[in-house]
Amino acid sequence: MSTSTAARRSTATADIPRPGSKRQHEVLRLLPGPLLTIILVFLGALVLIPVFYIFLASVNSDIGVANGEFWPSSFSLENYSKIWTSVGLATGLANSVLVAGATAVVSAALSVSTAFVLVRYSFRGRLTILRGLLALQSVPGTLMVLPVFVLFSSASTYLGIQVIGTQWGLFVTYLTFAMPFSTWVMVTYLRGLPKELEEAAKIDGASNLGVLFKIILPLSWPGIVVSGIFAFLLGWNDVLFASVMTRPESQTAAVALQIFGASQEGGAIPFYGQMMAAALVCAAPVVILYLIFQRYLVGGLTAGGVK
Amino acid sequence: MSTDASNEVRLAAESAASRAAHSAAEVAGQEPGGPKSPRRKGLSERNRPLWMLIPGGALMIIIIVVPLLLGIYMSTLNLDQYTLRKWISSPFIGVENFVEALTSSPLLHATWLSVSYSLLAMAVTLPLGIAAAVATQNAFKGRAVIRSIFLIPYVLPSFVVATVWRTMFQPDGIVDKALGAVGIEAGLWLNGPQTFWTLVLVQIWASWPFIYLLALSGLQSVDHEVHEASALDGALWWNKLRYVIFPYLKGPLALAFLIGMLHHINNFTLPYVLFGVPAPADVEVLPILTYVTSFQSFRFGLSAAMAFVSLVLIAIPLFVYLRAVKLDDAESPGAKK
Repeated sequence: MSTSTAARRSTATADIPRPGSKRQHEVLRLLPGPLLTIILVFLGALVLIPVFYIFLASVNSDIGVANGEFWPSSFSLENYSKIWTSVGLATGLANSVLVAGATAVVSAALSVSTAFVLVRYSFRGRLTILRGLLALQSVPGTLMVLPVFVLFSSASTYLGIQVIGTQWGLFVTYLTFAMPFSTWVMVTYLRGLPKELEEAAKIDGASNLGVLFKIILPLSWPGIVVSGIFAFLLGWNDVLFASVMTRPESQTAAVALQIFGASQEGGAIPFYGQMMAAALVCAAPVVILYLIFQRYLVGGLTAGGVK
Repeated sequence: MSTDASNEVRLAAESAASRAAHSAAEVAGQEPGGPKSPRRKGLSERNRPLWMLIPGGALMIIIIVVPLLLGIYMSTLNLDQYTLRKWISSPFIGVENFVEALTSSPLLHATWLSVSYSLLAMAVTLPLGIAAAVATQNAFKGRAVIRSIFLIPYVLPSFVVATVWRTMFQPDGIVDKALGAVGIEAGLWLNGPQTFWTLVLVQIWASWPFIYLLALSGLQSVDHEVHEASALDGALWWNKLRYVIFPYLKGPLALAFLIGMLHHINNFTLPYVLFGVPAPADVEVLPILTYVTSFQSFRFGLSAAMAFVSLVLIAIPLFVYLRAVKLDDAESPGAKK
C-alpha cells in the first residue's frame, strides 16, 4: 500500500526526492555498504549461531552435545517427549501459565485504572507517585525476597493463611512487582490519547467509571496488551522468588528447568539434549508473544526500560 | 513494510527519545514540578476517582514498601534459621550485621565484582548496540527480519539464556571445540577465575539489544533536514556520524547506560543459573552473595544488611535516572517543549 501511494506521488511531483528513491537513500545513508554488511553479518551470526545451536543440540544425543558437536551425529525427537516428566515441565508450564497469566490479566486491569487517575486528574502527590513508580521498578529482587518470604510466613504463623508454597504467593508477588512498570506503560500510553473524547463524554453526563469503561478501555487496548504482556513476562522469567517460595507441585517452568540443570552436575553425562529441548519449550511462548505483538512491545520496552 | 517498521519504532521514539532528549537539559536545569508546584493545566481537579488508586497502591505498600522497611529492620537483628520463626522477638544487635558485612564478609569484593562486571558489559554493549542501530536505521530489503533477529537475545528469558550458555561452556563443549579449531586452549569457563569473563560475555550477548533499541529510538529523532544538510556539505560518513548523528544519541544512550547498569547490578538469574550456588568466588556478585547468605548460610540478618548496602549502591544510578527522566508531558509547568 505504501509503495503504491509513493509511486503515485512521485509521478505527480517528480523532482522532489521521495522516500525510497535513489537520491533519498543517498541522503539518509549512514554507513558505507561494505561496513553495513559486515555489521549485519557479524551481529546476525552472534545471535543466530547460539539460537540455531539450541535447536541442533535439542535433537542431538547427550554424548554428541558433551563432545561439542555442532551438527548432530544422530537425530531424534525423543528429548521432546521426555522433558514433560523428567524435567517436570508439564507441571512447571501449567503453573507458569496459571500464575503468569493471572498476573497479566489482573495487572493490566489495575494498571489501566491507576494510570487513568494519574494521567487525567490532578491531586497532591501525583508526581511523587509517578516518581515512585519508576523507583520501584529498580528495587532489586534479592533485596525483597527475604522480607517478602518472612512476611508471607508470618501470615501463616499469625493469621493462619498458608501463602508460601502456593501459587497464590507467587501470584501476589508477581502482580505487585509488575504493577509499577505496567502502570508506567499505561501512563505513557494514555498520555497519547486525545482528551477531547473524554471531555465530550463528560459533557454528555458520563461518570468517571463510564469514561474509563466506554472511552479509555476501547481506545487503549494496545497499551493494555503491552502492559499485560510485560506482567506475564515478569512472572514467566522469574527464578528468584519462585525458587524460594514454591514446592515441587507449585514449581514454575523456570525453576523446574533450573533445578534440572543444576541436578545434572557430577556423575554421568548430563541430559544436555533434554535441557536444550526444555529451554526451547520455555522460550517458545515468550518468543511467540513477542513476534505477535512486536510492534507494540518495542515501544513499551523503551518506555520504562525494564525487561 | 516500511510503514510497519516505522510504526514499530515510532512508539519507541515517542516515548523514550523525546523524554530522553530532554533529559540532559533537565539534569542541568529545572525539574518538572514537585508535589508543591502549581497544578498542571488541563487536569481535572473535581470529582476525582482517587479510590481507583487504592487496589494498586495497597498492593505496592503491602508487598514492596512494608517488606522494604521490614528488611531494613531485619538488618539490625541477629536472625538465623532458629530465630526466623519468631523474628519479631529475635535479639536486636544494632549495626553489628553491617560491621560484619563490611569487614569480614565478601561484601566489598562482591560490590567490586558487580560494578566492574556491569561496567565491562556496558563498555562492549554500547558500541554493539549503536552499530546495530546505525546499520538498521536505513531501509533495505529484509530489514524487518533483521530487526526481529536482533531482539531475540533480549526477549529470551534469562534462565533460558543461562541454561543454554551453561551447556555451551561445558568442558569440551561447543565453545571449547570451536576455539580449539582455531588453536585456542581456553580452559574452564564455569569454574575458577575465568568465570568472571564468562558472566561478562553472556551478559553482553543478552543485553546489547537493549542498547540497540534505545539507540534506534534516538536515531528516529534525527530530523530529515539534518540528513540533507550534511549531504549538501558533502560530509563523509564517519564525520557525519561523529558530528551530526551521535549528538542525537547522547540522551537515549545516557538513559540506556543508567538502566542497563541497574539491570546488570540487579541481575540475579543469569549468574544463578549459569553457575549455580554456591557460585565460584569470582562471580559471587551482590545478588548471589545476598541470596547465598540468606538461603544457604541462613544468616538472614547479615543478608538483610548486605541487601541494604546493595540498595545504597543501586540508589546512585537510580537517583540520576529519576532526576533525568521526564515525569510529565509537555503541558506540565516547567517542562521544556
